[in-house]
Amino acid sequence: MVTDQEVFDRWPNVYLSFDNLEHYRGLLEKRLLIKKCQSCGYWVYPHFPRCPDCWSADLTFTEVSGKGRVYLLTVFHQVRPYPGDPHSSVLPLPYPGAAVELVEQKGLRYAAPIVGIDPSRITMDMPVELTWIEGADVPKPAFRPAGRS
Amino acid sequence: MAVKDLRNPIKDQVAIVGIGEVGYVRDAKMSEMAMTAEACIRAIQDAGLTKKDIDGIVAQKSAEFEEIHEGLGIPELYWSQDTTVGTVFGHAVTYAANAVFGGSCNYALVAWTTYRAGASQSARNDPFRARYGTTFVGGQTRGSGDDARLYHHNANPYGAFGWRYLKQYGLSREAWGLLAINNRSNASRTPTACLRTPITMDDYMNARWIREPLALLDMEIPVDSSTALIITTAERAKALKHRPVYIHATSFGENRFGTHQYELAEDYEHLSTWVCMRALWHKSELQLKDVDVCYPYDGFTCIATTWIESMGWAPPGGALVFFKKHWDASENRIKVDGRRMFHTHGGSLSYGGSTGASYFPEAVRQLRGQAANQVPNAKVALLGVGGFFHNSTAALLRAD
Repeated sequence: MVTDQEVFDRWPNVYLSFDNLEHYRGLLEKRLLIKKCQSCGYWVYPHFPRCPDCWSADLTFTEVSGKGRVYLLTVFHQVRPYPGDPHSSVLPLPYPGAAVELVEQKGLRYAAPIVGIDPSRITMDMPVELTWIEGADVPKPAFRPAGRS
Repeated sequence: MAVKDLRNPIKDQVAIVGIGEVGYVRDAKMSEMAMTAEACIRAIQDAGLTKKDIDGIVAQKSAEFEEIHEGLGIPELYWSQDTTVGTVFGHAVTYAANAVFGGSCNYALVAWTTYRAGASQSARNDPFRARYGTTFVGGQTRGSGDDARLYHHNANPYGAFGWRYLKQYGLSREAWGLLAINNRSNASRTPTACLRTPITMDDYMNARWIREPLALLDMEIPVDSSTALIITTAERAKALKHRPVYIHATSFGENRFGTHQYELAEDYEHLSTWVCMRALWHKSELQLKDVDVCYPYDGFTCIATTWIESMGWAPPGGALVFFKKHWDASENRIKVDGRRMFHTHGGSLSYGGSTGASYFPEAVRQLRGQAANQVPNAKVALLGVGGFFHNSTAALLRAD
């Protein structure tokens, strides 16, 4: 069981709070957890303390399927050194940084790199699935073209 | 001016109708955003209103207005106000009162939160409180801080929405190139501009990538600069030496989705520029056909084409066709109907990047008839200043 203190220690520069700690604990376990409103079913992201739709405080971190489509993309040719840019310690430049719209809800998008494909071949709304980048200080979510291993 | 010259047209014209309070304890055991959300909900409900009524927010930095806007699901804002560390609550009340009185919004939410952190012994021993004390920097780290911060409170989502714009409408970067050439051509005619050497489409297309699809010539030239304006009543303006340049209308525009975390913006045609321009045209008797000079924010070329489409010069995706229709090949710039121009001084791209400050003195010079690169008979200026997500603003200026 990962303790609160371990989460604080693993992300020393991140604003961890009562509202988001569980998301980071999930990352250590390679699980992508997003808050879901238990009153109305809305997926809440970023990690607000209340449901923006119905204002309920009854929100539970829930694992998503990891499936989505590439909604936005920019290819980073020039970045600030790590940790200014979060991925330059493990990904060579240039690397594609996407916002992936998860299948769970329209507009629910998670920003992460795309791996396993040349950036020039990434198409609008391309189907992708969650994967994890190894070799960094913490597990880092990424997405790869769907259907490949 | 002295105290005897002060006016008070706002007297009894605005009122406080809702109040909410949370905490006033040593340890609330909740995040400051949770406290803020609860206080705002209490105030809105105390007033008998719903989230749909709120259309303006002023917040202190430990309760940033964007986070309240998106976090409470308020649909649109037409006014917002940030405050800095030294601001006190009395400032915020006056800002909100002036905004309502001036017509910028109708129901202003004032949000103000304190969270005990810093050097105290108990704060250091509490990991949540200690972390707040070391990572919270005036809103910049708020909500960010995971590796998903690729697009948070930085420039990357502009390139990313630029990518989707090109794909969605089947476009090349040529529209952005024409804008960059237009701005450089106008800067070459403006002695005080930073970059004045003309550029070609080859120069534009061969410039190195920064955040593909944005390359070096898609981005403003960073400069040292300072800009100041003096604003007074129309009555006083008429007694001063220059032709007055009247503020005909202003607006802000912010959409709930994407104001706090940019990649969540609903889609291209619901970016905040569209909200802002709907508000401006609603307030104005002037229309696009009356506009002589136009300044659509060009921190990046893709922001300018979005403003141009939001303003109505072209439909979504139509900037390229519009530019080509009005392109003056002998002068290498856009001249709508042979006369009306964009970024007469070169814009942020070539005059210098100052988050839009340069547009206002240039528009004033144009409307006074004193500009280096003068549009004949310029009487109306349209300015769209800001980005896609949380800071769209617009103004119409006019002279007699």
